[in-house]
Amino acid sequence: MFKAIITILMGMFLTAPVFALDGTAMLKEVDKNLSPESYESYRKIINIEPDGRKKEFTYYTVKKGRDKVGGLFLAPASEKGRSTLRLGDNMWLYIPNVGKPVRITSLQSVVGGVFNNADILALDYADEYNVEKIEELGSEYILYLKAKTKSVAYDRLKMWVDKNKKIPLKIECLTEANMLIKTLYFKDIKDFGGGIVRPAVLETDSPLYKGYKSVMIFAKIKKKDFKDEVFTLTYMPKMDSLR
Amino acid sequence: MNQFRIFTSLLLFVLYVLLFMFTDAFAEEYKFEASEVEKKPYHMGGYLEFYPTMFGLDKNAALYKLNFYNRNAGGTTEQYNGTLQLEGSLEKGISRFYIKTYTNYLNSYQTETTKTTVFEGNVSIKPSSSFIFEGGKKTLNWGKGYAWNPAAFLDRPKNPDDPELSREGYIIASMDYTKSFSGALKTFTFTPVLMPVYSGFNDSFGEVDHLNVASKFYFLLHDTDIDLMFLTGGSTTTRYGMDFSRNITTDLEIHGEFSLINGYTQTYVDNNGNQSQRSYSAKNYLIGMRYLTKQDTTYIMEYYRNGTGLSGKEMGDYFSFVDNSYNTFVSTGNAAKFNKAVALYQGPYGKMNPATNYLYFRVSQKDPFDMLYWTPAITLIANTDDKSFSVTPEIMYTGVTNLELRLRTGIIVGPKGSEYGEKQNDYRIDFRARYYF
Repeated sequence: MFKAIITILMGMFLTAPVFALDGTAMLKEVDKNLSPESYESYRKIINIEPDGRKKEFTYYTVKKGRDKVGGLFLAPASEKGRSTLRLGDNMWLYIPNVGKPVRITSLQSVVGGVFNNADILALDYADEYNVEKIEELGSEYILYLKAKTKSVAYDRLKMWVDKNKKIPLKIECLTEANMLIKTLYFKDIKDFGGGIVRPAVLETDSPLYKGYKSVMIFAKIKKKDFKDEVFTLTYMPKMDSLR
Repeated sequence: MNQFRIFTSLLLFVLYVLLFMFTDAFAEEYKFEASEVEKKPYHMGGYLEFYPTMFGLDKNAALYKLNFYNRNAGGTTEQYNGTLQLEGSLEKGISRFYIKTYTNYLNSYQTETTKTTVFEGNVSIKPSSSFIFEGGKKTLNWGKGYAWNPAAFLDRPKNPDDPELSREGYIIASMDYTKSFSGALKTFTFTPVLMPVYSGFNDSFGEVDHLNVASKFYFLLHDTDIDLMFLTGGSTTTRYGMDFSRNITTDLEIHGEFSLINGYTQTYVDNNGNQSQRSYSAKNYLIGMRYLTKQDTTYIMEYYRNGTGLSGKEMGDYFSFVDNSYNTFVSTGNAAKFNKAVALYQGPYGKMNPATNYLYFRVSQKDPFDMLYWTPAITLIANTDDKSFSVTPEIMYTGVTNLELRLRTGIIVGPKGSEYGEKQNDYRIDFRARYYF
């Protein structure tokens, strides 16, 4: 009897909600560790097909504050000069041949593969999600997140966070009915300099794209200040001048 | 039939060669070197394109008679296009020079030509992130419509059959002043434009010897893009416009465009070729949406009311006039009326969209049946006045880096006297292989 009570208590201790922890504060810390307030970075996005074939994109990203993200494709040649902009829930794509920015939606993908626009132009998690519950499991916390509005790409997230480093290890992206859309895996924690220590690789797979995988490799993440006017439609064709 | 076999064999050969050439790309390992993101002050790029087309002719159509009156064509005719688009830029400090040239080789039943056009060539100066000054040849691409842009006052008309093709610009001087805010109004941009129209200088735009002034005011207000614009100055009549675009949900975007053209003059003929004109204020509008399903199917739909267009009856009268004048020419040798019909086709009746009410509907499916990088699509462009239309199924493959392959078939349907029913072709098969570098 005593053993059973101890087992139940231990089980509760291991998986019970951590009421003493402030989930929102934890999520904000995760955001802070993933990216500075205002920065530039380079990414390589690789789509890998079941037979091993790959398609690669090189992408320059700028971010300011909570809701401004811009990006510019540097390679391959067929995508070079395309730029993307996100202001809160608004997203645009500029294609040099088309010559003007057109609105895109968060569920579309400008690169194909498993990453969609919301993954590529991601905002801070705390901006888009409320923490419904936080659990402690060994060396990790599990955060259960619910989208603040209907305009967010995934209705629910289940986030595994490294307890010491306060960095996500894995995120499951779910529908309102808890159906798995994709899983993001954060790997290869690296010191980028300037106090930025974060995963350098983000992998994703999806039950909707069986056998396909997409990878994002981060490089040269650097704190940098930008004027607000950089994050406007007028500036999209000129984004290369920021580099 | 023999021509069809040659055409098909040629397509398959090109496809095979292109795929074989780029198979090495599959074996490449990925790496992320610092040199890949190193910025250079200059840039060169572009694409090379091979674009053969085969047309199935409609010998009873009015436009067939206009174009083939002096030759005996078979059931089909081919056209071969080869294109080289080059882009280059040079950046120094706050200034940047940009040029885009378009060289096209065309071999068709009418001609064999090679022509190079400077599509854009301009200098921009950016003293701060709020101010951009530009001068030179440039496409402005105003408006939010996908297939049509009734408020693009300073652009050449779009081809709704291939709306993403780049177009030649005009020589202008412009400025952008942008200011960002927090609150309901997030962005404001003011873009004044000067457009000189003189002999040898933008003279295809309108009446010469005028300095035209246009402006666009952009607002990002309550998460909605809104533009207000105008053009005045004498080369064309004064016109006003507005457009908007907004994401309603994570998968649905809506947009619209409106323009008012003061004192528009329309030329039209009756079925005997008697020419008339009427002047009025033309109201054009467009409403559209883009919807993406969870299965990655994209729907684009637009309705376009072209206030500068001709009515169904006016279009029908013209086609009757073409038939009548052609019959007179064939039976008597008198070409006076037929020449008039040809001249009118260079004017209002030969415009990209000569009629009044159009519908555009496109469905595309990304990666169907787990076939990554394949995108089949079908596009319908209909003249809702005379119930004629073109329907274009296509398939595109982008699985090889920098190579884009597209195969399309256009089928044209419409009764006698209708816009599409009187086009010179019954169908079209085209293939486009484009390699970016």
